[in-house]
Amino acid sequence: MENLKDNKFKDIMYAYGTFFALVLIIIIFGILNPRAFLSSTNFWNITRQMAILAVIALGTTLIMCVKEFDLSIGNIASFSGVLSALLAIRGVPFFWTLIIATLISGILGLINGYIVTKFKVMSFIITLAMGRMIYGLTYWLSGGAIIFNNIPSSFKVLGTAKLGKIPYPTILMIIIAIIFYYVTKYTALGRKLYAIGGNEEASKVAGVKVEFNKTLAFAISGLMAGLAGVLLASRVGSASPTAGDAYTLNAYATIFIGITLFKEGVPNIIGTLVGVAIFTVLANGLTILQVPTFIQNILTGLIIILAVVGQKAGNKNND
Amino acid sequence: MIVETKNLSKVFGSMYALNDINFSIIEGEIHGLVGENGAGKSTLIKILTGVYSLTEGEVYVSGKKVNIKNPVESRNLGINVIHQDRHLIPSFNGIENIYLGLKYEKKANKVSVDFSAMGKRIKKVMDKYGIDVPLNKMARELSPPQQTLIEIIRAMLTDCKLLILDEPTAALTDKETIILFNIIKKLNASGTAILYITHRIDEIFSLTDRITVFRNGQLVDTVNTKDSNKDKLISLMTDNWKSSKSEVSNKTFGTTIFSVKNIATADKVVKDASFSVHRGEILGIFGLGGSGRTELLEAIYGYKRIIKGEVMFNGKQSAKLSPRNSIKNGIGLIHEDRRGHSLVITRSIKNNVVLPIIDSYVKKGIYDSKKETKDVNKKMDELNIKAVSINQKVAQLSGGNQQKVVFAKSLIFNPDVFLCDEPTQAVDVMTRSEIHDLLREKANEGKAIVFVTSDLKEMLEIADNILIIANGKTHELIPNHNIDSKKILHYCYEER
Repeated sequence: MENLKDNKFKDIMYAYGTFFALVLIIIIFGILNPRAFLSSTNFWNITRQMAILAVIALGTTLIMCVKEFDLSIGNIASFSGVLSALLAIRGVPFFWTLIIATLISGILGLINGYIVTKFKVMSFIITLAMGRMIYGLTYWLSGGAIIFNNIPSSFKVLGTAKLGKIPYPTILMIIIAIIFYYVTKYTALGRKLYAIGGNEEASKVAGVKVEFNKTLAFAISGLMAGLAGVLLASRVGSASPTAGDAYTLNAYATIFIGITLFKEGVPNIIGTLVGVAIFTVLANGLTILQVPTFIQNILTGLIIILAVVGQKAGNKNND
Repeated sequence: MIVETKNLSKVFGSMYALNDINFSIIEGEIHGLVGENGAGKSTLIKILTGVYSLTEGEVYVSGKKVNIKNPVESRNLGINVIHQDRHLIPSFNGIENIYLGLKYEKKANKVSVDFSAMGKRIKKVMDKYGIDVPLNKMARELSPPQQTLIEIIRAMLTDCKLLILDEPTAALTDKETIILFNIIKKLNASGTAILYITHRIDEIFSLTDRITVFRNGQLVDTVNTKDSNKDKLISLMTDNWKSSKSEVSNKTFGTTIFSVKNIATADKVVKDASFSVHRGEILGIFGLGGSGRTELLEAIYGYKRIIKGEVMFNGKQSAKLSPRNSIKNGIGLIHEDRRGHSLVITRSIKNNVVLPIIDSYVKKGIYDSKKETKDVNKKMDELNIKAVSINQKVAQLSGGNQQKVVFAKSLIFNPDVFLCDEPTQAVDVMTRSEIHDLLREKANEGKAIVFVTSDLKEMLEIADNILIIANGKTHELIPNHNIDSKKILHYCYEER
């Protein structure tokens, strides 16, 4: 009896440990500086900070579902930001800059997926190379400079405005998260992606169009990276050819943290969101406590390692 | 005795893979080991080389009782094995591969690796046994027999008392085989005992001193080669079952539903296969390991590329073979590799079962999970799948229940042709008979069944007609009445 209870506790810890870690982090920051950290302004602030990383990481979660990598997402985000800013300066209405930049980003993702599946080459290398090319293209478009002159104020609405107390980026994140959650959980597409990631050969034997679905995942990933790029440019009111770069690794870090949530050990939407939250709350809280950036980096890295190692140890015990 | 086993048994689950084996190899002999698929040959080798632990009994090496825990210990005892699939690192050259796992020779400074000293030591071994193979080439540039030679050198570099060769000629031409045999004889002449495992009876007689026959996990007999002959050996290898259907079956089959003409696969495993199957018929395809039986089914299902031949379905030539089109046409494949090619074991029963027809559940963009749940539950009941619910992960099911999920996955689209590759392997007796009943029932409904198994007894139990495949080519079609297992095996061993 004692043992059974013990196991149940362990099971819950392995399944939801990552979520408890987030709660713990919030409690610690809450105790250390309740007035600044626990204010409603800071809450909305955190959700707004989460939005860009969440959008890019959710798209990439699909790539991880099929056990591939897309290392060009950061470069695509930078590209999309620069393109949308340049279009805005030339008087294109914001709605259209958003659509054009996002769609072209989606096409870049489609090219990634086409090359990877058509020639059966490692996505790690292809997307790394594509990322380089996209960076070159972005640099050429922007002339290597940060674009901030003459950007119309309409361009900045999406990233900075609020509906009541809720920032627009937060609303966008919630809508996209719901769509992605629905797609992965309740559609044929989501099921096929998980099947491919679970066993590509068995999926082929079952008649699943493996190449097509993988390519689709790459296209969606590109699309989301592009959207995140526009969102970023809109929020900061400028666009630089390297603005999105850091998001590549951060997105993967959040997805890996997300995989540790739930016992299945597969990429999942809720998990990625929790990962994004842990990332953002840490940065926010440590900044409020005036902890130097380098220590923030050390702590963030440490938490990713702990989450992944913990999951592995948990799995071993379960077998 | 070099190696001796006393009352050795190995149990997997509740099955005896080896049962009370008393087996010995004498100094300086070449000992042949034969038996049908699943007779226990590989299990014995794996115990001798420390891959498996034994359940009961004792192993003696050079008269001393040993407990071989891992391959390194087995090697230290002087037992080396050369597997059918060679274990070389493709990008390493001969010297690097031979020294893999051995201590490297060092230069005087005790840091740098002394490749020339290593080369010299290898050359000495090569000269001793008359082996000729380029050492400076990478393993992937070497031909299959050259790769085998590299492995032999590796074995002979240490003190090798017993060399085990597991089907070493499977990928060799006749000429290469002769070269290999000469080397084996030289090794043997210099005092190394050889344990030689093969399906090829002719080789056994041209090479060995004694032969041991395994059958169903038991050692049937050990005979002196010169006192035996091919017929005697084949009788020892098989329980001589008579077909249970002794009277001429007056069963009439329906129309030809599916036929295959002169198929050859791109990987050249299947060279020339033809057959046709009728409504109501269970066609058995029998072949030994490596005969191309699995590849044949994969090819006609569209999973493996074909370069020649045609597949006719309902009298019409199938345009483009692909798993997707096969499913559309009503052809289901039960793949022999349950975990690798049939199931996504990390996903639920429900997810697995509907995978082939998942798109059909999407109605106007909405996924109809109610209908899905109903369908899967129905199949669970029909097949008597024991699970907590349809949401249980397949990985948590027993082998028999997993196999039922594989069947459910085909039954869900109600195919007209079932291609079954070893559908009852590693399932319990109960499930096995349930699967047999199911296939017979489907045949009676007018479906056609293609049934591949390496278990002859099962084949004689279930098939209406039996097609022999050997070396990638299909041979006679034998009606399953008044035949016995010996006759079928003769067909298989005749062909080379």
